[in-house]
Amino acid sequence: MAARVTQVDREAVRRSTGALGVAATLRGLRVTSRHFIRNLWGWMVGKPQVRTVMVPEEEDPKPAAFRGMPVLVALDSGKERCVACGLCEWACPVDCIHIEPGETVDEVERYPRVFDIDMGRCMYCGLCEEACPEEAIVMSARVDISAFSRAGLLWHKDQLLTPASQLARRLAYIREDYGRR
Amino acid sequence: MTEAGGPDEKPATVRVVIDGREIEAEPGAPLLQVALDHGIQIPHYCYHPKLSIDGSCRMCQVQIQGQKKLAIACNTPCTEGLVVDTRGDEVADARRGVMELLLVNHPLDCPICDQAGECHLQDYSFAHGSHHARTESPRRKGLKRHPIGPRVVFDQERCILCRRCVRFTQEITQTDELRVFGIGDTSHIGTLESRPLDNPYSVNVADICPVGALLSADFHHKRRVWFLDTTASVCAGCANGCNIEIGTWRNEIQRLTPRRNDAVNDTWMCDAGRLGYGFVGAADRIRAARVRIDGEQREVSLQNALDAAAEALRQVRATHGAGAIAIVGSAHLTNEECFRLAAVARDEVQTPHLDLAVPLGTSDAFLVKAEKAANARGARDMGLVPGEGGHDLAGIAAAVEAGEIRALWVVGSRDLEEVIGGERAAKVAAALEVLVVQDVQPSYLTAAATIVLPGATWAEKSGTFTNHAGRVQRIGGAVTPPEGVVVDGELFARLASALAGGAVAAFEPAQVFDQIAAGVATYAGLSHLVLGAGGRNAGAAANGEA
Repeated sequence: MAARVTQVDREAVRRSTGALGVAATLRGLRVTSRHFIRNLWGWMVGKPQVRTVMVPEEEDPKPAAFRGMPVLVALDSGKERCVACGLCEWACPVDCIHIEPGETVDEVERYPRVFDIDMGRCMYCGLCEEACPEEAIVMSARVDISAFSRAGLLWHKDQLLTPASQLARRLAYIREDYGRR
Repeated sequence: MTEAGGPDEKPATVRVVIDGREIEAEPGAPLLQVALDHGIQIPHYCYHPKLSIDGSCRMCQVQIQGQKKLAIACNTPCTEGLVVDTRGDEVADARRGVMELLLVNHPLDCPICDQAGECHLQDYSFAHGSHHARTESPRRKGLKRHPIGPRVVFDQERCILCRRCVRFTQEITQTDELRVFGIGDTSHIGTLESRPLDNPYSVNVADICPVGALLSADFHHKRRVWFLDTTASVCAGCANGCNIEIGTWRNEIQRLTPRRNDAVNDTWMCDAGRLGYGFVGAADRIRAARVRIDGEQREVSLQNALDAAAEALRQVRATHGAGAIAIVGSAHLTNEECFRLAAVARDEVQTPHLDLAVPLGTSDAFLVKAEKAANARGARDMGLVPGEGGHDLAGIAAAVEAGEIRALWVVGSRDLEEVIGGERAAKVAAALEVLVVQDVQPSYLTAAATIVLPGATWAEKSGTFTNHAGRVQRIGGAVTPPEGVVVDGELFARLASALAGGAVAAFEPAQVFDQIAAGVATYAGLSHLVLGAGGRNAGAAANGEA
């Protein structure tokens, strides 16, 4: 797509805003009101002119390439696929992942005893997903991160575990995307 | 890594050419070692500088001019005029072939393998491997996480049969627990059923294992190695002073590993020393100062405790004279701290009753020494010995029981209890008016003390230790002490100013060591800078020895 470049005459803008920017404010209100009334009318007559998603009741569909909160893939057994190798912890540029490895009697002897992600710090870069050798941590479509305290933004393993079936689209996407390189 | 010999013992050298570089080498020295010493990296698994040459891995093959076949560099002695190529296509081909064969049965365990990050197989696979597997048959199955000994975990699938561990138990410990069983494709490392790998040096096999087949049980699944910060230090377990690296993660010790020093421990250390770091972060560690008020110990600020200690000592000195005060030092203190403590005893407390409590234990002919503290020799060098007319440890205990000594200041109470016995220690504590205990762990004496001062461990200090043979070696602070705790040398400095008044002179180990070099004859000419990473023998500077 060719970039569209608009030349802005800064002097003209400054002149047109006038005293206290009253004119500019009114101009802004006109644009907002126009959209509001048009949308309201469209909604009332049942012919909406813009796509409206009623979040949070309705879910906003995201493309597979969308990077939301990183989550852990849960196997059918409910256990994590993660083996606590620590590569995501190492790859994370903001240091928001904390893993404490442990030993199990399962065939794969290593598992994360503790797996915490500080969602308040996460910047959704997806490097953890790319570093993971086990397809165990993926970027979900979830963005509903909110909490009443900072501690609430620290997500623990049980909160992060998400059934693989819910992540199938993303898993297929990263397999194709990273496999290509 | 090689030690420079004296000028008279230097043998005639031969000239070898490696990759076009002319190098002077000792005749007969392994070509591989000579190349490594000159920064030419030749990949290898089975070769270890402190073990015999095995030649089993075939990874170090190089092209030698005039020879039809490639030769292994580890078993090629340096001779005059040897011309070697380590980078040719034929060599690269051979390495790729060796890597492919080693990886035929190697599991893709890297994400769960503790060795990942410091694994030779991993590194060489990236550098010299082909990145593809051509085999279709499944990989051979073997024992996983098998406790081959109480402190070592064995993963048979990962083993590449370099036999370093076998040679270690044959040549270094001479306990011979590990063998290669089976032949050909069924060869595997194992122990005889009745003889697990249980010698005092067993965890060294985890260090020398080039892959993740033998692992330290203590470090198993503990922390990825790439998260560790390492600090060069010296083991505090006994008087041998093995050079170590302290691996830490977020201010917690994760493991101790030996650091090569051919004058002290080669590349080894004992299991007791390696695993004896738990007290540093122990839950029952003394983290706050306590003062006995109305018969009960209460937590107070460090400065209040120091003021109370100074006041108590002053009172005893005023009523009974300075001779009624005794000080028992610790062989766990650094030279710098011992020097400071000796100065406090001499100048501020003014008592001749000064001695050390050095716990004794088992020893062997290899590394383990009987004195179970790192710096007994250094402490004595620094003057932690009875002054003129002063009592030694036994004398101090007797004098306390006779009522001549009324105040005792103990650094390291567990050592004292061990040396004089718990019963005697209880009697001593009961007979005292003032008992000041400076320690890191609780003991009978800390519970009985009038004043408890929190000490710091060796991992939290920088300074020097002098080992049993008089080698002065630096230790480095790997972790910071718990909040509110300062190193013991700082405590001595603050107590000195609380006793004598005046400003506190900050405790700077490097500066104190310069005072030691000026004040103690055998340490003349030494400084932290001169000691470097490997240490120097006390008295050596004066004699001009290395």
